[in-house]
Amino acid sequence: MKPTKLSKWCLLLGSLLWMYQVQAQNPAITGTVTSESGEILPFVTVLIQTPDGKTVQGLTSNEQGIFSTNVLKVGNTYNFAFSYIGFETGYLKNYVVKEGVGGSLLFRLKPSVSNLEQVVVIGYGSQQKRFVTGSVSKIGGEKLSTYSSSSFAQQLAGKAAGIVVNEASGQPGTNPQIQIRGIGTLTAGRNPLVVVDGFPLTEGTSFNYINPNDIENIEVLKDPASAAIYGSRAANGVILISTKKSRSEKVHVALDMYTGIQQKADKVEYVDAYDAATFFSEARDWGYVSKNPANRSVNDNRATRISKGASLRELPLNYLDPYLQKQPGLTNTNWIDEIFRTAPMSNYNIAISGSTAKTSYYTSFNHFNQEGLIINNGLKRYSATFKIDSDISDKVSFGLSLNPSYTDQRFFNFNGGFDEPIGAVKAMYPFFKPYNDDGSYAISQQIIANGPEDGALVENPVASINLIKNNRTFFRMFGNTNFTYEIVKNLKYKLMIGGDFAQSTFDFYNPSFVGAYRIPAPKPATASETNATSNNYLIEHTLNFIKKWRLHDFNVLAGYSFQKENGLSTAINGTNIADDNIANVAGASAFSAIPERDRWVQVSYLSRLQYIFNQRYIASATYRTDGSSRFGANNKWGRFPSITAGWIFSQEKFFPKQNLVTFGKLRATWGKSGNNQIGSYGSLALISGGNGANNYLFGSTLAPGFSASTTPNPNLSWETNTSYNFGLDLQLLNKIDFTAEYYNATTTDLLLNVPIPEQSGFSSSLQNIGQMRNTGVELSVAAGNLRLGKIKGAVNGNISFNNNKVLALAPGQTQIVSGAQSNIITKVGEPVAVFYGYQVTGVFKTQEELNSLPKLPGTLLGDYIVKDENGDGAIDQKDWIPMGKYLPKFTYGFNGSLEYKNVQFSFSIVGVEGRKIFENNSALFEESGEGFSVPNKYYFANRYHPVNNPDGFLAQPNLGNFSANRRATRASNLFIYDTDFIRLRDAQLAYNISGSWLKRLGISVAKVYVSGNNLLTITKFRGYNPEATTNSVLTSGQSTSNYPVARTYLVGCNIQF
Amino acid sequence: MKKFIFYLFTVLLLGSCTEQLNQIPLTNKELSIFLRTEIEVEEYVNATYAALQANGLYGLYLPAMGEIPSDNSFDEVPANDGAIYGDLDEFKTIPANGMLDDNWRVSYVAIQRCNVVLDRIEQANFKVAVTKNARIGEMKFIRALLYFNLVRFYGDVPLVVKETTDPNVFFGQGRTAANEVYAQVIKDLTEAAAALPVTNTQAGRVVKTAAQALLGKVYLTQKDYAKAKTELGAVISSNAHLLLPNATDVFALTNENNKEIIFAVQFGSGINSNTEGSIMYQQFAPSNTVSGAKGHNLPTKELYAKYAATDARRGAYVDLAPSGAPFNNKLKRPTTVITDGGSDIVVLRYADVLLMQAETENELGNTAVAQTLLNQVRTRAKLPNTTATTQAQLRAAIDLERRLELAGEGHRWLDLLRTGQAISVMNDWFKAQNIPITVTTKHLLFPIPQKQIDTDPAIKQNTGY
Repeated sequence: MKPTKLSKWCLLLGSLLWMYQVQAQNPAITGTVTSESGEILPFVTVLIQTPDGKTVQGLTSNEQGIFSTNVLKVGNTYNFAFSYIGFETGYLKNYVVKEGVGGSLLFRLKPSVSNLEQVVVIGYGSQQKRFVTGSVSKIGGEKLSTYSSSSFAQQLAGKAAGIVVNEASGQPGTNPQIQIRGIGTLTAGRNPLVVVDGFPLTEGTSFNYINPNDIENIEVLKDPASAAIYGSRAANGVILISTKKSRSEKVHVALDMYTGIQQKADKVEYVDAYDAATFFSEARDWGYVSKNPANRSVNDNRATRISKGASLRELPLNYLDPYLQKQPGLTNTNWIDEIFRTAPMSNYNIAISGSTAKTSYYTSFNHFNQEGLIINNGLKRYSATFKIDSDISDKVSFGLSLNPSYTDQRFFNFNGGFDEPIGAVKAMYPFFKPYNDDGSYAISQQIIANGPEDGALVENPVASINLIKNNRTFFRMFGNTNFTYEIVKNLKYKLMIGGDFAQSTFDFYNPSFVGAYRIPAPKPATASETNATSNNYLIEHTLNFIKKWRLHDFNVLAGYSFQKENGLSTAINGTNIADDNIANVAGASAFSAIPERDRWVQVSYLSRLQYIFNQRYIASATYRTDGSSRFGANNKWGRFPSITAGWIFSQEKFFPKQNLVTFGKLRATWGKSGNNQIGSYGSLALISGGNGANNYLFGSTLAPGFSASTTPNPNLSWETNTSYNFGLDLQLLNKIDFTAEYYNATTTDLLLNVPIPEQSGFSSSLQNIGQMRNTGVELSVAAGNLRLGKIKGAVNGNISFNNNKVLALAPGQTQIVSGAQSNIITKVGEPVAVFYGYQVTGVFKTQEELNSLPKLPGTLLGDYIVKDENGDGAIDQKDWIPMGKYLPKFTYGFNGSLEYKNVQFSFSIVGVEGRKIFENNSALFEESGEGFSVPNKYYFANRYHPVNNPDGFLAQPNLGNFSANRRATRASNLFIYDTDFIRLRDAQLAYNISGSWLKRLGISVAKVYVSGNNLLTITKFRGYNPEATTNSVLTSGQSTSNYPVARTYLVGCNIQF
Repeated sequence: MKKFIFYLFTVLLLGSCTEQLNQIPLTNKELSIFLRTEIEVEEYVNATYAALQANGLYGLYLPAMGEIPSDNSFDEVPANDGAIYGDLDEFKTIPANGMLDDNWRVSYVAIQRCNVVLDRIEQANFKVAVTKNARIGEMKFIRALLYFNLVRFYGDVPLVVKETTDPNVFFGQGRTAANEVYAQVIKDLTEAAAALPVTNTQAGRVVKTAAQALLGKVYLTQKDYAKAKTELGAVISSNAHLLLPNATDVFALTNENNKEIIFAVQFGSGINSNTEGSIMYQQFAPSNTVSGAKGHNLPTKELYAKYAATDARRGAYVDLAPSGAPFNNKLKRPTTVITDGGSDIVVLRYADVLLMQAETENELGNTAVAQTLLNQVRTRAKLPNTTATTQAQLRAAIDLERRLELAGEGHRWLDLLRTGQAISVMNDWFKAQNIPITVTTKHLLFPIPQKQIDTDPAIKQNTGY
């Protein structure tokens, strides 16, 4: 705002007043307070004191920034203090009032550097942090960029309270789970809404398309009151991303690059070939003998065993003798080393920005390349940003942004199965080599060698990884244009039209010359290709009225938005591939296609009123109604209100002026938000068919069949999250910000894919049923501007506690049983997804124990002793006890930076406490003692064997007679792991090169740095990834050898012109 | 400018409107407006037949469930595939067994499809009324077949004969007494037999004799020999079926849906990108004989040994792999992709009817008639007439003949249950094999899948599990 004509008139009036005051006893002193740039600051608090500190007068400037006084005595000396929100308090000292003449003062205030004066984006607007009443975390781009990754999502870990980032897979390009204030849903989507510069992306969309280098700030709306303005899509929290803009008038060029390496940093270790040979022999021998100990002996040879009815898995492996005789120099492959590698990672970014009087622009180009820890796996991205903002006239402005990107991913579907690398490696015997002596891949050797005794028939994963093609490419462009018009003073109209276009191609080819599980090469080749496009557009009108009137600040917003998405995908599967000459679907001679299309529409009306009185009482209310095509005919429209209140008590007169507590605010919010992530047609009973499961063959006539695939529910609607939030903000010593929050969020009408009795003809039905509550406390503290001699520093820390409880499920339903061993149970009255199982207390080593203790059906010697928890003398599922859950008790983050002369050091620590995971692959393979796959070193060292390891406490290896006891104890404490961890998430040491030669080259900043991700992780977990979990909430914390997260070392530089 | 903005605002605000909130599915049809025409009903009927092809039914598991617990077949590597076959073979079945879980689920999926058609078919106009009647009969037959299987394997099972509109009503329903389920099966089959045509218009469709043969089997299971005799007699006297002269022709891929077959679930190789085949051939092949062979539900050596050297069925029905392992030769090797087996899975055939009628007549004391019926089957197998003369001898002879004639078709375990010999025969078998396994009354029913009890505790487990 520039000084207006009106204010000039007022100055004149002031002067006239002064002329009048000349006649009085004391001269009139008039003054004006402005910002450094000359903007008038209204209602500035002016405190006039004598030099010895006695207050003479306290007054407030008027709307035009003018104050006047006539109580000051001629010849006396006074001190003036000017305070205004957002600015540092200004002092005018030793002002002497002169005889006969008054004074006219002009005082300029410097903007404050305090966190309180930051502007926070709150959705359809922004607000000074000081006045924010909801729960909003703001994280600056510079704080994010200390962690180097493909997307901002990984960078968020530990940076703010209440935000948990679970990197369940380290595969380059995989979205981590972002969990804001616990889990609020059971079977609907759990993804937060991501809004980039006002454009809401489709939920569940990949984060890779947003170049982290372009991010100026991220604001996370955590409480439904703050998020309510986004209505039915906001219940999982809203992430608002603001991208960079031009900062200066001259052309500014910033070059960022880093390159480095990534290493595997987990503790997974399998036994070597000699120990494996011992293990397999023990397992096959005991399997054979235990089936009929009276009639069978471990010394029976192969022929005797066959004659006594031994199955294949009770015969000794035909090639093991040299290993059992400990002959040196035999093949001893460490398959983990063969499929993992030290992988490079690099990023190159150039951003050019600048502005003229009316127009500013920002453009950037980025190339990001991350190879995976697994061979032949990785992600490459090329992206650009174009952004222009222009003031067409005093009243009209215009903006445009475009974000195209192209991503190329070499991908594996890591599901723990034998046909993906990490799944295969556990069953790869170290007796086989990945390559033949001539350097070619050793194909199907283990499958053929293990055939006669039915060992693990797994194909060499080094060959599979390199020979099976699984490439995915993505092109995406999103952006928006906006147009703002000031209709009358203080009233602005804004039109935004945004669009998001995505195209992807998945190209898969599995050639005939590499085998698969149980299938030696040559096998029939298979090929598939999936092409998908989606387009999404948004039209949004908003009217915004902002008015300050005396002590009242008003901000009124009203808007309408319309969003529509069309998706189309076609998957083509090719079979009958005669040869491998054409390594894609075109090589096939028979095809089947799966076409899919969907569309959703959302229509919304939104409004918000914000009101601030006298800089200290804050109130706001929002109301949004959303209509969505996804919901049932009877429930198309949802209503999402919120109200908030805040009180800046440090502004009160009674609040003592001191330097300890320099700011204090209490705030409370209540609001509702929704979750609509259920797919486009959830409310309809769909008929599907025309596929193998529905078509029939009458003789040789193919008859197309169609049948219902889902149950109908015309009442289907949003899941509603109703929440209270109470917060306290304090600023201490002008530089330490402290925030404490308590929240209580209840999800009602839980969108639940209810497992239903299957006599209904269906396994589950999508319904609005059930209730869940999340309560929690979040504490955060940040201190900037710390100084110790010449060392400058800043630290911040946060800790978040969350309590989750399921209050109700479907009528008559008390629990939902999920998990690979049906051991992950969601019960009414308990948190989501609690692990249940038997408590194993030891191993049956004698027949007496076996005869006397209660035991599971089918228990053999060498099997597990299970605690009879309910003491009824029988071991059954009633003896299951709860054993923890994935949802942690609390999470914390601690970040710091230090600066000494040209050297900067920063670090970030994250930690999780009270988390457990269930590692299904350990239960089935590495630690099961079933002599099928290769055990890990922990199991082998602690296994029981009456001769070879009599003190072992894990069950005896057994293959041919792997008992019901052993299968039942897959759901036990043995495979629930404590995965608490504390991790040095990132650390960076940077040096700012200075010198006049840089200036001559036009370089303003030249920074070089070394940095690292995940440099140190302290955890007891011996698996691959302590953050492992599934996408489904109901099986949270179930791990299937999830892809580990890398430790990374990087060097980089940042040069600005 | 102002006018322009006002115009734009109004157009965009009012132009894009709320009627767009009603979006219809683009690649699916909708149940609420489906099954109104003959074509739509036929589509649903086709899908109902198709449900029988599922792995949980005749695509893979049912033939194993009906045989692997018995002395006819075994699992080569019991631990394979999560021991879902091995546990049935070794009487260690746990309620979480994945085979039973799948079988239960898809049984009810198929039953529900029958229910939808039966509840809605009246509203559709058919060009020919006979066709509509036939479809009603087909759906009732399939529903009865599925319930008959369920009640024999699990005992009491929930009975649902209406289209599901509110899935929550099933919470608390629990299991229906077996006799009520049997009553529904008999009602459905009786009505089906009345509605179905004698000959079908398309190979593979249910015919009148199928309903009669199955009803005969139901009565036989209930030991209602008089009624069984009537139904089975009707099949025999219909002259719609006969025994093929050569045993090798019965299961030949080139001779499917022949005169001996009364009802078979249809499969075919190389159709529609290999979507109409079954993986049963691969799964039931001995290890190392074909790519991906699993060695499930293999005929025992002892069964193979029971075929006389002159028995035409030796080799034709059960043959030996080069390794010496017997395999089920009623499943033919697919010519292209090994997982795309084309052999139809026979549910009812004339030899079964003859042997059932022999059993019925023998139980009614008509020994001579029983001998004649039995000898028809033996003659086709190039075997001499039976030497059994007493009722007890004939019982054993018919029992053995059923083993040999119907091996690999999923009958033996159900036959042992029906004739009440399951415990004695199997305990003798394990004793002879020197395997320490004891079969008790609990094993006469499979456990209810754990998932059903987890979902709704109103469903109670069978005793002993």
